[in-house]
Amino acid sequence: MIQLFHVHKQYPGEAPALLDVSLGIEKGEFVFLTGPSGAGKSTLMRLVFCAEVATSGQLLVFGRNVAKVKPSQVPYLRRSIGVVFQDFKLLPDRTVAENVAFPLEVRGLAPREVKRKVSAILGSVGLDLKAGKFPLSLSGGEQQRVAVARALVGDPALLLADEPTGNLDPERTLEVMDLLHAANARGTTVLVATHDRTLLERYKKRVVALERGRVMTDGAEIRRTGFA
Amino acid sequence: MSARRPFYFVGRAVEAMARRPSVAFVSILTIFVAAFVIGLFAAVLRGGERLLGAWAGEIHISVYLDPAADLDAARAAAQTAAPGRTVEAVSAPVALQRFRASLGAQGALLDGLRPDLLPPSVEVRAPGIALAEARSLAARLQGVPGAREVDYGNAWLERLERLLQRLRWAGIGLFVALALGAAVLVANTLRLGVFARRDEIDIMRLVGATDLFVETPFLLEGLLQGLAGGVLAAGALVGICALALPGLATAGLPLARSEVLPPALIGAVVGGGAALGLLASALAVGRELGRRAR
Repeated sequence: MIQLFHVHKQYPGEAPALLDVSLGIEKGEFVFLTGPSGAGKSTLMRLVFCAEVATSGQLLVFGRNVAKVKPSQVPYLRRSIGVVFQDFKLLPDRTVAENVAFPLEVRGLAPREVKRKVSAILGSVGLDLKAGKFPLSLSGGEQQRVAVARALVGDPALLLADEPTGNLDPERTLEVMDLLHAANARGTTVLVATHDRTLLERYKKRVVALERGRVMTDGAEIRRTGFA
Repeated sequence: MSARRPFYFVGRAVEAMARRPSVAFVSILTIFVAAFVIGLFAAVLRGGERLLGAWAGEIHISVYLDPAADLDAARAAAQTAAPGRTVEAVSAPVALQRFRASLGAQGALLDGLRPDLLPPSVEVRAPGIALAEARSLAARLQGVPGAREVDYGNAWLERLERLLQRLRWAGIGLFVALALGAAVLVANTLRLGVFARRDEIDIMRLVGATDLFVETPFLLEGLLQGLAGGVLAAGALVGICALALPGLATAGLPLARSEVLPPALIGAVVGGGAALGLLASALAVGRELGRRAR
């Protein structure tokens, strides 16, 4: 699903954001990407959804070398990727249903089909009664559930979540994580960037730890070799 | 793009204007001012040309002859040079007589003067003739036997036409400057709208929107705002014509609305406003998307 070979990312005038990163994420996996602030988690996420290009090395997403994907093709690649952010990134002047409908409108789905899918996904995240509300009238946990619904409404093969619970209390954190977990159970590959150790301990999933742009430990590697 | 997409994009453009009416208002106002100023200048220029044409229609050419010239031969030659025109031979005494009559009560001042004081002439009347034709006719009349001088009689028209010609060039220059200035101004105004919606653009791109999908509503918004500004400008020009033309007619400058503001010019003002809005929004959204590469 995702393969990185000696990926290096350097921003001008700064220390390398990623240094010789190599790792692979299989289809259907649930992976935590962890590490302190500035470790390179968000940069790695941005490379995967083509918001940035690696300085060197190779990154394959769905078997395609993203450096060779033409700019005009990037939107079509992104339609297979759902993204959730810590700050939700919802449009405050659009209702919950309108926010969630956005990815479907982009794809040109018929209004009836959009309505059906939006209604179904809002039901699955427990927000069917809030469809007509505006995001700012919702709690942080509810807003993040809207963001998850928007990320999942297009049935993406890959879900990226960058600190999705960073702004939430423990109870809301579990609600959101359960949604990601459920998406993974339905076959979506999930990559979650977090520095919340309680989540890593609770969910017992593969953990890739980054520090100063390098992979320090990789759960899959530890399982394979027995060395941390 | 499916058949319902145009409606979707128009709906989004209208919705975006409704969400931020102040930004839409400023854009429409800017386009209105630009289209109005350009349209007003064009209308004034057209009015000036029409008046010139009307005045040129009364052209009267005098061919002054040597005192010894054969008046009949000169008249015949003038008639040949100006076929279909009214040609009149005026002897020296008749010329003095007419001059005296034109002075009215003060005609007595001319008493005692020689009857051959004024030269004999051939007068050619050419109603409805264009200025350029009049010029060429005057050149032909130079060949009349005994012709000493051809008085164009309308030299001020030449000056007026030169002035109009300069105004035409100035108009073209002004039009280009205004159009460019307006495009930049409107583009900057529309950029405010694009900037206000940068989060929306980011999210659209995040969920897989193509550049065309992102741009189209902005372009339609610019087009609709331009159309609105153009229609308002055309309405204002029609209103000004309705107010100003009766007053001009009273002052001896009779002009019809269709002469000053023909339907083609109204169409150009409306179409120009729409084109300006489209161009400006293309500049604004192009710059914003370019800044947010990938």
